Amino acid sequence: MSKSKDALTLAVEIGYVMLQNGGEIYRVEDTVMKIMEAYELEDHDVYVLSNGLFASANEGGADARSMIRHAPLGSVNLLKISKLNQLARDICEKRCTEEEAWERLERIRNHKKDPLWIRVLSTGIGSGGFAILFGANILDGIVATFIGCMLTFLMLGCEKHKVGRFATLLFSSIFVTALSLIPMSMGWPVLQDKIVIGCIMPLVPGIAFTTSIRDIYNGDYLSGVIHLLDALLTALLISVGVGLTIYVYQNMGGVMR
Amino acid sequence: MMGTIIFHFLVAIVATMAFAVLFQAPKSEWILCGISGGIGWSVYESLLMRGNHLMISVIVATIALTLFSRIFAVLRKQPATVYLLAGIFPLVPGAGIYYTAYYLISGNMEMFASKGRETVEMAGAIVIGIIFTMGLPQAWLNQLAKLRKE
Repeated sequence: MSKSKDALTLAVEIGYVMLQNGGEIYRVEDTVMKIMEAYELEDHDVYVLSNGLFASANEGGADARSMIRHAPLGSVNLLKISKLNQLARDICEKRCTEEEAWERLERIRNHKKDPLWIRVLSTGIGSGGFAILFGANILDGIVATFIGCMLTFLMLGCEKHKVGRFATLLFSSIFVTALSLIPMSMGWPVLQDKIVIGCIMPLVPGIAFTTSIRDIYNGDYLSGVIHLLDALLTALLISVGVGLTIYVYQNMGGVMR
Repeated sequence: MMGTIIFHFLVAIVATMAFAVLFQAPKSEWILCGISGGIGWSVYESLLMRGNHLMISVIVATIALTLFSRIFAVLRKQPATVYLLAGIFPLVPGAGIYYTAYYLISGNMEMFASKGRETVEMAGAIVIGIIFTMGLPQAWLNQLAKLRKE
């Protein structure tokens, strides 16, 4: 009987995609568990870490199954989390058959990334907006928007050439700091610090930090610590990038205003 | 002062919405993600302006936006994560990270220590705010959804 195998595979695949796209541990565990319950698997269990997922079903039976998935820390995609959440809900309430579920999962998995211009614009507007929020004037905001747009291209380039996450972060923070020094050294009336602050906002580990708090709160200490370490390292690398650039600039005879 | 707060509320909405788009939040939730960030920032800023301690301001702001996220998660059948992850960004101490690095490089140890402490305090305050609001029982929030149906 292959029912248990199919149901387990479906549940694990849904959990796996959720985990890859930044779902919290508790949500992933809960989702996999509920789907397995909906298919009436016996003796099932699931264990989720921030970078891996283990599940088994029908342990005592002849068709015992277990599955392992490795999910390296990746970027967050809220749309996929939201859609998978809806899919799991529908499965549990028996509003969709197994074939439909597979089809929907496949569609969610292959969901296209947003077009480039949307990513460029949203990073730019975000950077500019946060710069203004932290006390910049309109001119600084425009400069920050421009630098934020450029930052997207740098990050895309890093992604294309498979530069590691930490190196990308370091390059990015050096890049935005260096660019922010240009209008200042040309004598424009800009607040360089506010521009950098706005432009590092897309890099700042807000998501890793929040996820880590929620994981630890739910008792998933190990996963929480993995995300917390990620957040701390990210913050550290941003400050190294910023500090290094300003240090070099000052030693080249540049004056900070 | 009121003018600044309203202006910043709008800017925070736009900036948070931009980040919601960046993290690929569902299109239908963009506005709510933005408002979540706007609420967080406005509460934080107005409390700080009235002379409250930095940590208190961040704690109350985090509570406000996490509560907002949880309420709309129930009403719109979305994971609370969608609103929370986007909305928390205005409170994340990006400025703190920058100034800490800057004063370390400039050799101003007094300011380095002060900004470093501020950064850690803000992060700690976010933790307290989220934990406090997550502690509220889900049943209370589900009650809200029932009220709406009636």
